[in-house]
Amino acid sequence: MSATAETSEQFELGKMREEHLMLDPRPRGEMNSWVMDAMKTTSWKFWVIFAVLSVVVAVCLFYTWGYLIAEGIGVAGLTRPVYWGVFLVNTVFWIGISHAGTFVSALLRVFKAEYRRPFTRAAELMTTFGLVQAGLSIFMHMGRVWLSYWLFPYPNERTLWPNFHSPLSWDFLAINTYLLASTMYLFMPLIPDIAMARDRSTGWRKTLYRILSLGFRGTEGEWTHLRTAMNIFAFAILPVMFSVHTIVAWDFAAAIRPGWNSTIFGPYFVIGALHSGIAAVAMVLVVIRARMKNMKYFIRPEHFNALGTLMLLVSMGWAYFFFNDYMVQWYGGNSVTDALQHFHERGPLGWMWFGMLILNIVIPWATLWSKKIRSTPWALFAVGLGINIGMWFERYIIIPISLTVNYMPFTWRAYVPAVEIPLSIGTLAFFILLYMTASRLIPLVPVWEVQEGQMAHTLRKVGKETIVSVADLE
Amino acid sequence: MTDKHLYLAVFADIDPAVQAVDRLRELGVSDEDINIISGIPVTQKMLGRPRQWTNVPRLALGGAIAGFLAGAFLAFVVPYLYPLHVGRQGIIPGPPTFVVLFELTMLGLMASTFLGVFLDSRFPTYSPKEYVPAISDGRVALLFVCPADMEAKFIQAMETCGADSVQPAEAQKL
Amino acid sequence: MSQTNLPDFKTEQSLDETGKWGMVIDQDLCTGCQACVVACAMENNIPIVGESDAAYNRAMYWIRTERFWSGVYPDVKATPFQPVLCQQCGFAPCEPVCPVFASVHSETEQLNLQVYNRCVGTRYCGNNCPYIVRIFNWRDYKRPEPLDNQLNPDVTVRRRGVMEKCTFCVQRIRKAVDKAESERRSVADGEVQPACVQTCPANALIFGQIDDPTSQVSRAAASGRAVKLLEELGTLPRITYLKGGSDYVRNS
Repeated sequence: MSATAETSEQFELGKMREEHLMLDPRPRGEMNSWVMDAMKTTSWKFWVIFAVLSVVVAVCLFYTWGYLIAEGIGVAGLTRPVYWGVFLVNTVFWIGISHAGTFVSALLRVFKAEYRRPFTRAAELMTTFGLVQAGLSIFMHMGRVWLSYWLFPYPNERTLWPNFHSPLSWDFLAINTYLLASTMYLFMPLIPDIAMARDRSTGWRKTLYRILSLGFRGTEGEWTHLRTAMNIFAFAILPVMFSVHTIVAWDFAAAIRPGWNSTIFGPYFVIGALHSGIAAVAMVLVVIRARMKNMKYFIRPEHFNALGTLMLLVSMGWAYFFFNDYMVQWYGGNSVTDALQHFHERGPLGWMWFGMLILNIVIPWATLWSKKIRSTPWALFAVGLGINIGMWFERYIIIPISLTVNYMPFTWRAYVPAVEIPLSIGTLAFFILLYMTASRLIPLVPVWEVQEGQMAHTLRKVGKETIVSVADLE
Repeated sequence: MTDKHLYLAVFADIDPAVQAVDRLRELGVSDEDINIISGIPVTQKMLGRPRQWTNVPRLALGGAIAGFLAGAFLAFVVPYLYPLHVGRQGIIPGPPTFVVLFELTMLGLMASTFLGVFLDSRFPTYSPKEYVPAISDGRVALLFVCPADMEAKFIQAMETCGADSVQPAEAQKL
Repeated sequence: MSQTNLPDFKTEQSLDETGKWGMVIDQDLCTGCQACVVACAMENNIPIVGESDAAYNRAMYWIRTERFWSGVYPDVKATPFQPVLCQQCGFAPCEPVCPVFASVHSETEQLNLQVYNRCVGTRYCGNNCPYIVRIFNWRDYKRPEPLDNQLNPDVTVRRRGVMEKCTFCVQRIRKAVDKAESERRSVADGEVQPACVQTCPANALIFGQIDDPTSQVSRAAASGRAVKLLEELGTLPRITYLKGGSDYVRNS
């Protein structure tokens, strides 16, 4: 072989290694130390943001919530007929974000999409913390939140149980199941990485990781039990994920309000959750790659490319379901639904309706077809942020704006949020704060899964081309 | 009865470790007395080991059944304890029953799978164990029982197969 | 009802069952004076929300008088006054959606009950009522002296976070039924009058037992002018509206 042929072949291989994490294996010890380094190295900028967020959480979330409980829901902007407002919008929004984690760690695992490996844990953390915010938002909207334990089915001397005719009771069961399941699903693959962290730590960290790793060593038995459980979980948590957002959708679809009583709401909400969720995962990964040490090895433009493709596909799916819902209501001609649709598009908040369509459909379709844009982190961040804002608008339109127009025109009254605004800012700040705290305490990249994937990928020559071969290690 | 000691041989990769397992078998160590500790899950087939039992699927099924029964209790028994009429639905509504049964079955399935891992692996356990931190750095370690009088032979066999180190296994706090 | 042996998950009530207590509202007689609103507020301990909350649609009156008009005086076209209160639906949409059973159907009075001490304030019932007649206690509204002396001891005083609505003055119904039972007779027609019915100066509201075909309310509901609000939703409201007969309305 001539010298130029050899070097060009080596150049090709080098390019493949640079692009694909799975083709670029490093010694496990080196990857471990990178991840530990990323976890322990904290700059002063981190602490400044941490302090600011802590103040925001203390004031906008906890203090304001205390004020809300003491004064009553009257300090919020809710009124007749808009009995649900931004609190429910936030609940649906955060549950939507939480679906991203399960999508990445379960659905992509079931479909053996190898590119998921470096960021499953980052996505799963979003699930747990997103559900925390959703839970807080649900508690915020309740009139007598100190009695919320009555939704829990427990035996009492009055033999009173919750009402399982109500979609809110199904919500209670589904969201709790999902929260427990995704926390367990976050923790299980974390055990080997905490064992690694235990082996490489001293002081308080070592004590913490010793306790959390439960004595894991990596024996054959331990791995077999863990992997069997993870396989069962991956398959089992998928129907739960679909059921959770469907049940949230049924909170609205089971009601008889115009604009709500739509049979398509179940799948429409699920795909809406994936839409905002995958965009949020992309946003979080952009920040992690840019701000944390050594993450440029683990998270590469190929991952953003894959997420961007998913975002485009889900955007098309969302557009399909949106159009289904819209077209059928438009065609039906029910006079109240007509009035409602006019109010959506031409009312005082019509800009929100058009903004939703532009951010959720037009911009993704105009940008995400291009591999270059998808692979550029900041561009994907911008598109993802637009999608999340657009999806928040969508839920605002469905909840407070649709509630304004109903069967009794005498009662129509527009909704103006009041204390909901600081509380929403508080939940967002709390989410970021929890995430930042987690990034200091647990390894963010599942190194054992990355190494497992790298072991499964080989390069082989077919004719003159070098192709990637992926083994099925199950 | 000869004295038996536990030894820990650490290998850099899977292939030398598998050779070493074969060598140990030739030297008369039974499969039960060999345990392989690794930083990534290496399949039984790769190691040439007998299939590892696990109770997790059975426990998962049992948990699913328990969850189903709990859901059936909430759906079919509980409404009659204090019957209240609502809207146009009977005391036991039709479609909502499916929701309750499904959610609680899945909760039972997943909770029992998770607890099954704990039970099978005897987690959490904080007693001293035979372990070296190099394992989480990607090494594959062989934990085996060897008779006291044949120690030198075993150590030599392991080193021929390419072991990085062969030490008597000390149970240390992890 | 179904002829097969399949379980029918809907209740056994047939679609034309009437139940006990009902009301007739004659829109051709209603003058829009709102005396019913005031009487209801006094009878049922309804708080006064203040100017800013009332401007934000948070006034807590259990009955409201609706009217729509267009044009400028003297060329005004208007609809008749329409008092709207809880319709005590036979198939109430507000009932199945309460997660804690605070909104249930009374089998004896055939009314929709709101159980104040069970309500946790999720407000799903308020969203699911098509008549928007459910009221929420957004705050603890103060009753400056001497208004606190005016409270009706037969009716609970609700705190913040609890949903409420018209009960057909169930306290008056219970009192009359108890009195009739102790005197070993049935309740006479017209013996029970909710506060709004009692107060109406135009006698536009009639109340009674609609399962008794000879009662005043049943005979009024049989009129040719009878309509029900949002009948197409299948809620089986217990209130019948009479309208269309007034000269004023026909000529405007």
